[in-house]
Amino acid sequence: MLTNPVGYDVIALTHTYTGRLPPDLAASIPNPLPFATPARLRVLRRCNIFLTDSASNFRIPQLQQNYDLVAARPTDEKTLQSACQSLDIDIISIDLTQKFEKHFKFPMLGTAISRGIKIELCYGPAIFGDAAAKRNLINNATQLIRVTRGRGLILSSEAKNALAVRAPSDIINLASVWGLGSERGKDGLTKEARSVVEFARLKRQSFKGIVDVVYGGEKPSPAEEHGKSQKKEKAQPKDQKRKARGSLESTPVIQPGEENISKRQMKRNKKAKLESGLQDDGTVPA
Amino acid sequence: MVRVKNRYLVVNFLYPGSTPTAPSKPGIPNLVQFHAPTPDAFHTGHLLRIIRDGVQELFGDYGAGMVHNALKVNYWSPATSTAIIRCPRENYEMVWAALTFVRKLPKPLDVPVVIKVVRVSGTIRKAEEEVIRRAKLIMRRAKGANVAGGDKILESVVEAVQQRRETEVLAQVDEAGASGDESEDGSE
Repeated sequence: MLTNPVGYDVIALTHTYTGRLPPDLAASIPNPLPFATPARLRVLRRCNIFLTDSASNFRIPQLQQNYDLVAARPTDEKTLQSACQSLDIDIISIDLTQKFEKHFKFPMLGTAISRGIKIELCYGPAIFGDAAAKRNLINNATQLIRVTRGRGLILSSEAKNALAVRAPSDIINLASVWGLGSERGKDGLTKEARSVVEFARLKRQSFKGIVDVVYGGEKPSPAEEHGKSQKKEKAQPKDQKRKARGSLESTPVIQPGEENISKRQMKRNKKAKLESGLQDDGTVPA
Repeated sequence: MVRVKNRYLVVNFLYPGSTPTAPSKPGIPNLVQFHAPTPDAFHTGHLLRIIRDGVQELFGDYGAGMVHNALKVNYWSPATSTAIIRCPRENYEMVWAALTFVRKLPKPLDVPVVIKVVRVSGTIRKAEEEVIRRAKLIMRRAKGANVAGGDKILESVVEAVQQRRETEVLAQVDEAGASGDESEDGSE
């Protein structure tokens, strides 16, 4: 795989559903993959759904169970709006090689970003498409960068084969040519991409998407615990001895039972004794 | 005297010719295959032409004019598929973008290629050092991949530490203000 020499550790393989969803939504990307992958490479599974009309049901919860990431590809203004405002997806992936009649508007995309949905910029078609596709993509990408002010964007390849994948710093440079600052560009490859993956995982696994037990620790077995306490008991006298010796060397020793109580404490003791009805034998509690 | 400020791009050519479903040559580590030598027919003139055409295509006459004068291939090694390209400091991003958009070597060869910028340096000395460092690293890794036995744990630890470093993945870019001097410290 190219991704490792180029420098990616996590990649997502995409399965695209066009038209109506089939009844069986089980992930069509085999797990584990039929070929060997490098040890450090983590492969995620992602699906694209085409939003053709906003009325139909996309069974997104079912998709979320089967895939690591769910991305939606709106085809017109209306579906883009529904994707931004209501659909429970992870990524909005707009086909940037098309020409759109209307501009992207911040309120619409802003709601999506505030809901934690990321907007995807795919550079792949610009590298492998024709001149018109490249022109449209650059136009749309700069528009998106301007409208979103560089927030909530992830940069991805949409590569059909390894040749369309470019190295991270090449992408950051490309984005900075398109008007996205290099810091934002780096975020788009690292922070935002990670956040979308983790957010999707939390949605899938955790309690109401909020609480997740990462590692609850292990309960020590009773035998082990017993052994530990024994050890502690054994260790204690030794410890005391050491302490005593230390105090001999450094500080004046105060024997227990001597008058080393403050006046306030003495008063308190007296009061307690009186209250308890003088049934004690008069020893001072240490 | 005021010097003309340049940037030096250290560039690697990668050849992802084989796919996982059809590995082309067994016995050769994957890493070596990616860093395959470039055919001898390809020379610096071709590389210059690729870049000029790319800049012309992306940025038009303006870009081509801005880049044209300072553009030069300072070093080209077909054996390691590594090049050092000089370009004007103000416009190095144009050259970089043009390199990103390269798909294949020019006509008579027609080999699919991915060009990767690994270092943007203010001085040629730092660029050369980077080339040497990379070459050493690749050799070490390729050797590590070849040897089946050996101290596997140690190797894996070394590998992990090296891969953890972000600088291995992201190209180190000297910013405009900081460098361009000979006394520039490359460890920023």
